[in-house]
Amino acid sequence: MAQDHPVALRMEGITKRFPGVLANDQISLDCREGEVLGLLGENGAGKTTLMNILYGLHQPDSGQILINGRQVKIDSPAKAIHVGIGMVHQHFMLVEALTALENVILGIPSDHAPFLDLAPARSRLERLCDEYGLHVDPSTEVWRMPVGEQQWLEILKALYRNARLLVLDEPTSVLTPDEGEQLFKAIRKLTAEGRSVIFISHKLSEVLEITDRITVIRDGRVVGTLQTRDATQLELARMMVGRPVMMGRKPRPAVTKKEPVLVMENVSANDDRGLPALRDFSLTIHSGEIVGVAGVDGNGQRELAECIAGLRKRTGGSIRIHGRAVDRVMDDPSFVGYVPEDRQKTGLLLDLSVAENLVIKDFWRPAYSKGGVLSYRTIREHARRMITAYNIRTPSGEVQVKHLSGGNQQKVVVARELNAGPVLDVTSQATRGLDLGAVESVHDTLLGERKRGAAVLFISTELQEVMSLSDRIIVLFRGRVMGEVEGDGADVSTIGQLMLGKVSEA
Amino acid sequence: MTSTKKRDRFITLPVLGQIALFGGRPLVGILLGLAAGAGLIALSGVNPLVAYWAMLKGAIGSPQSIANVLVRASPLLLTGVGVAIGIKAGLWNVGEEGYMYMGAIGAGAVGIMPLPLPPLVHITLAILAGAAVAGAWGLLPAYLRAYRGVNEVVTTIMMNYVAQFFTSWMVHDPQPMAEPGAFFPMSRILAPSARLPILMPGTSLHPGFIIGIAACVLFYLAVRFTPFGFRTRMLGTNPEAARYAGVNVRRQTLLVLVIGALMGGVAGACEVMGLKMRVYQDFVSGVGFEGVAVALLAAGNPLGVVITTLFFSIVKTGGAAMSVSTGVGGPMTVVIEALCVIFTIAVGYSERKRLVRADKTKEDEEAPQRVG
Repeated sequence: MAQDHPVALRMEGITKRFPGVLANDQISLDCREGEVLGLLGENGAGKTTLMNILYGLHQPDSGQILINGRQVKIDSPAKAIHVGIGMVHQHFMLVEALTALENVILGIPSDHAPFLDLAPARSRLERLCDEYGLHVDPSTEVWRMPVGEQQWLEILKALYRNARLLVLDEPTSVLTPDEGEQLFKAIRKLTAEGRSVIFISHKLSEVLEITDRITVIRDGRVVGTLQTRDATQLELARMMVGRPVMMGRKPRPAVTKKEPVLVMENVSANDDRGLPALRDFSLTIHSGEIVGVAGVDGNGQRELAECIAGLRKRTGGSIRIHGRAVDRVMDDPSFVGYVPEDRQKTGLLLDLSVAENLVIKDFWRPAYSKGGVLSYRTIREHARRMITAYNIRTPSGEVQVKHLSGGNQQKVVVARELNAGPVLDVTSQATRGLDLGAVESVHDTLLGERKRGAAVLFISTELQEVMSLSDRIIVLFRGRVMGEVEGDGADVSTIGQLMLGKVSEA
Repeated sequence: MTSTKKRDRFITLPVLGQIALFGGRPLVGILLGLAAGAGLIALSGVNPLVAYWAMLKGAIGSPQSIANVLVRASPLLLTGVGVAIGIKAGLWNVGEEGYMYMGAIGAGAVGIMPLPLPPLVHITLAILAGAAVAGAWGLLPAYLRAYRGVNEVVTTIMMNYVAQFFTSWMVHDPQPMAEPGAFFPMSRILAPSARLPILMPGTSLHPGFIIGIAACVLFYLAVRFTPFGFRTRMLGTNPEAARYAGVNVRRQTLLVLVIGALMGGVAGACEVMGLKMRVYQDFVSGVGFEGVAVALLAAGNPLGVVITTLFFSIVKTGGAAMSVSTGVGGPMTVVIEALCVIFTIAVGYSERKRLVRADKTKEDEEAPQRVG
């Protein structure tokens, strides 16, 4: 349809290097008028960096951007808006205390300064709402609006600024299926008017449904661009993940003594916004077993881990560890070791030393504080032992944790959580942001835990490592167990289908 | 163009920033404050060196003046350390002014009673009463912050005024504490057994500064070496991680705020029992707010509070002498103190901006690096 339309946007040879990492490597793509271009890639593939460059939030090290054939230098979001680019970020950029209308006109110079042009703005906003079927009440404050409406508001904000090219970053992640349909309708209307849309997602089915062409990027490079009508889910998945998918299963000894360690029955929990995130979730993990949790990010993984770690209230169901209710064992390090999803925000106190971080859960125990005084001598000795045992690269235990590399920071967390020999290890995105060597070391540690007889819950959005490490794999989708497969002989397309919410027919 | 831009990101205050990073932030702030103050003094036609010399001589030139410095220091030490421990926990306990009033009420109420007690017992009782009343007063904003999420800055500041007017009411005539028929609203005078001893004849040097320094040292040690201090630092550096590690964040918040109130209460008690001998209407007049400045200048370090308090007291005490011998107005001392605080915050800000930038680069660096 839009193939013969003129090119609205062309990005050529965009390269962006952050210290130590090539985030975008010679990325080129174009988007025609009236076209929906899908931008597909795993987390961290470089999609967001590329779009931030387009929106003037980052400057590329090399490469150029052409709008309607003319080269432009986009050095600020204001400039991006000026050349007709509208961006809807994954995390909304709205002022919660202001009304929808106020958010829309925020930053637009008024014709009657110092007074606001509220009346004409309101009627124009209402016209836009009707035109695209995206209804928001102009006088409602943003904090009172449901997430779906906030999404509409972001889009309307861009349209109000006459965006010719709209970038939607993971727009459906916060929408219900019905709202998703509504969004797609609006997108079709936009393109019918000759506007262009860049649709960023890692949900294959949606990308196949709404886009005209798809550009896949991986590790900062364009893997390929194809017409949507020629694409299949499997092919796209292969392009996204790259390399032969199996990294090879790790060799593992058979464990004979198996008894249930973690028993979860019909557990439900809400996310931070109070929406159901984990629904009726049941799972049993045995000693000497690694259960991998696969799934696209944000399908309840975080809530699952936090429920087991006792950091999140359940709205229903029960969790028992070695037969004892989870709320009763939280103080006992021999029960659960928990490696949280975000080591810098949750797992570590970056300003404190390595030695101190190694005891943040235990400093009050008699081993480390005698007569109400911390025994820094034992804390330092403990640190020395941990540094050797877990091969933490640090000049000494006195160094602030923030000066360590990501991999070594993670080793500090792992050492602290696993050292007491817990019966259950819960790890959440334990290898995120780590280099290959550090990933190997985390994997080996967990296999060691399995051998020791611990039960391991291994949550990761990296399908490859889930497949290479797990004895059993469960797939989470919208807070439910979508399916379960044996680790041996697990096949990526089956799991991929489950991750997309499709019950496997195989 | 991009390469220069990139380099820019790391250049901020090369020399000052470096010094600041090595912990000398308050020192840099004080020096800059004194320098800017010197400029203002010069503008008023006085040689700043002469003025500062007069100030220094007026403050530590004689045993009497040193005693005056220490008398001024005693409430500041206590309120300063109360604020400082809050800063360590990431809390802004700016209610010291009010805690001092409430402490004075508590100590005054017990102190004016002619109890047949030996002085040591009566003094101890009065100080404890002051601490208790202030602590109970501080419990309200502490509870609201810890369990209801109400911003402690707003509540503690507003409660200062309530405490001030409550005190004023308490020392007005028909109230039992008030001195009947007084020309100025004040309480009855303390019983002799409830007055702090004078350490140096001919001055008003009372032992309040010893209590203050002891509190600073004690809290320095507590923050560094006890589980309580460790929890406080965890709360201050990363509350989410503290919660994850099993710290009862609410309880700790409550404790830290109440401790700040107790310190303010002792400060108010000492001020009444060592210096004023009565509770006067409006007698605190900003010392509690100065405590915030002192703690800020010390970046929340309790030992630093001792040093910044001495600095403030020297400037204040010497300021009078400077005013007499050079004609530079007394309010100049307040200006100099304020400048020091502003510069300290400014240096700290440029340092933090630097760190935020460094962190951001680090995040950007790590985010796209995913291997499976």
